[in-house]
Amino acid sequence: MTEFNFELTETEKDRYSRQMRFNAIGTSGQTHLKNARILLCGCGALGTVLANTLVRAGVGFIRLVDRDFVEVSNLQRQVLFDEDDAMQGVPKSVAGAKKLGQINSLVSVEPVVAHIDRGNILELAKDVHLILDGTDNFEIRYLINDAAIKLGIPWVYGGCIGSHGQFMTILPGDTPCLRCVFEAAPGPGEAGTCDTAGVLGMTINIIASYQATEALKILSGNSDAISRDLVYLDCWENTFRKIKIAKLKGKVDCPCCTHNRFEWLEGEQGAQTTSLCGRNAVQIAHAKPIRLDFEFLSKNLFHLGNVSFTRFLLRFSAEGCDFTVFPDGRAIIKGTDEPDRAMALYARYIGH
Amino acid sequence: MTIYLDNAATTWPKPESVYLAMDNFARKSMANPGRSGHHMAKASEKILDDTRIALNRFFEGCSPDRWAFTLNGTDALNMAIKGVVDPGDHIITSDLEHNSVNRPLRALELSGNNSVTRISSDESGTVNPDAFLKAFTPQTKLVVLTHASNVLGTVQPIEAIAHLTRSKGALFLVDAAQTAGILPISLSKLPIDLLAFPGHKGLLGPTGTGNLYVGPRVKMRAWREGGTGGDSRTETQPRDFPYFLEGGTPNIMGIAGLLAGLKWITEKSQNIIHQQENDLAKRLSESIALLPGLRLLGHQNWDKKVATVSFTVEGLEPYEMGNILDSSFDIAIRPGLHCAPQIHLAQSTFPDGAIRASLGPFNSEGDIEALIIALRQVLGG
Repeated sequence: MTEFNFELTETEKDRYSRQMRFNAIGTSGQTHLKNARILLCGCGALGTVLANTLVRAGVGFIRLVDRDFVEVSNLQRQVLFDEDDAMQGVPKSVAGAKKLGQINSLVSVEPVVAHIDRGNILELAKDVHLILDGTDNFEIRYLINDAAIKLGIPWVYGGCIGSHGQFMTILPGDTPCLRCVFEAAPGPGEAGTCDTAGVLGMTINIIASYQATEALKILSGNSDAISRDLVYLDCWENTFRKIKIAKLKGKVDCPCCTHNRFEWLEGEQGAQTTSLCGRNAVQIAHAKPIRLDFEFLSKNLFHLGNVSFTRFLLRFSAEGCDFTVFPDGRAIIKGTDEPDRAMALYARYIGH
Repeated sequence: MTIYLDNAATTWPKPESVYLAMDNFARKSMANPGRSGHHMAKASEKILDDTRIALNRFFEGCSPDRWAFTLNGTDALNMAIKGVVDPGDHIITSDLEHNSVNRPLRALELSGNNSVTRISSDESGTVNPDAFLKAFTPQTKLVVLTHASNVLGTVQPIEAIAHLTRSKGALFLVDAAQTAGILPISLSKLPIDLLAFPGHKGLLGPTGTGNLYVGPRVKMRAWREGGTGGDSRTETQPRDFPYFLEGGTPNIMGIAGLLAGLKWITEKSQNIIHQQENDLAKRLSESIALLPGLRLLGHQNWDKKVATVSFTVEGLEPYEMGNILDSSFDIAIRPGLHCAPQIHLAQSTFPDGAIRASLGPFNSEGDIEALIIALRQVLGG
């Protein structure tokens, strides 16, 4: 990777003066930020707050990756978009990059309209100093974790639902990785998603701000200040918990960071999708079958107003697609022949 | 334990002797075959020879040398079609064919060098020989027909079509994917020029095996060239059969399994196995015929079928039913188009396809009962 070593200009010194006056940043920290490169995975709720905060903070380069298009229901929490973007249906990364360019023309933002998968993540991450998680999807988080450990790049995980959220910083070789802490993702239907349980914009702002602060510490050379805990907070209940995870490093027999077995990157883990030939439908099956509780899932999806289920299958419609879900977690999603879109819809309505 | 009703795709389980033959070969003599080599090479070669002899005896062919080993049924069909069709040739086939026939023929048609006539089957799923007779032109080189539909299980009148094809001087290629090892096929009695089948279905061998029988009238090109374990000085593919068609090391371990499968069928008697499978299929067909919204495809005259029962149900797409049977009942059937879209078009089941239950020699009454109960639970009635 080419390392840049640009000095701060007078304009930049003036622009970032309040941040530079903060003792831990100073001229040195701000110069590091100017030369730093970030991969931001997802430009939705967490992603827009992260991008907004870090572009304003003067991070030199951000690669912004998202496959979705702006919709009205995003505006409640996705801070970079407005009604015009939703009306025109602009790709999120493109709309985000445009807004960010207006916010700070001194930094560089590269929009990428793509689904992050094992085929492109190494290329997207190869020339960055840090990866930030702005996704809503545990499959992609495990993939980010694999890529980060393989390439030796730090990353910051963040996730929100309802009024609570959590974040965690992963420094390859130093801290436990995501798989050390969460051996497996919650199964489909086991936990709610933002599309079923909802999410408060405030939760997202808080979690993303913590993630961005972690990014600032890592990039400005303040490694002592980096959080070594899994931090959980609930802004409705006013609770804040630090879960000590540092001791897990080396204690758990982690396939990823102990054995360098990158199961998500190599496709050993994760759901399999099959495009059903000529039928505009995708079938999704999990590598490890699970049991879905249709009653629980139908309550989660109640707001859609069209959920029905028997012992053998559960049906509902959302976003122009018809879902047929089976008790072992597999599903047929009609109305798309793109496996990526089907996977995203599955994650959104059924779980990760 | 999974109830396996997808034997038209691959039979499973295999006879114990098939597993043992492959294990034994792998451990003791898995060497490259060679007629003049070391003793392991000879042992390996002997398996190939023994299998050709057994196949030739079983199907009453003209010589063991006319049996080439292929990767599967598709490979055998491709070798046959691409090996005999020249520019300008006309080909006759049916709407019952698998894509292993449809696609090579369609590609020839699209090349602009060949014309293809597709004879429609009737509602029962059978073609009429008269329609074939009318389709011949002076350019007709080849007639390709499946012995039994992989979707409907309906057996086609290959005797009549074999004779009329011979009378017209064309070559007759039979796709015996659904019948080899199940229905008697006598190459000495019927004028079949090319017979293609996989080893992993009715012959009870493993996947990765197949055969093409090439009769004495056929002049063909080899489309795979390479080492043949002998005659290495020749600069091009040796012309002598079967090596002409067999460049490269064959799947001898699989062929050892195929030979064991063939022996098992011979010992048990092909007719008895077929009767047992068809009795179960008939019982399945009769038991589900009256379930609400269920439609059986093709005729149900079990004297003219192999043990395949295909159907659709109202309100559930085949893929949905397939997933229900798999996820809630652990029953393996095959939903969809079965790689044979044209017969689904003809049966008005395109593009969703149908649900296909196909039986093998190891299915029991209990298996059929389990499927009947599952369908009753899902459909009511």
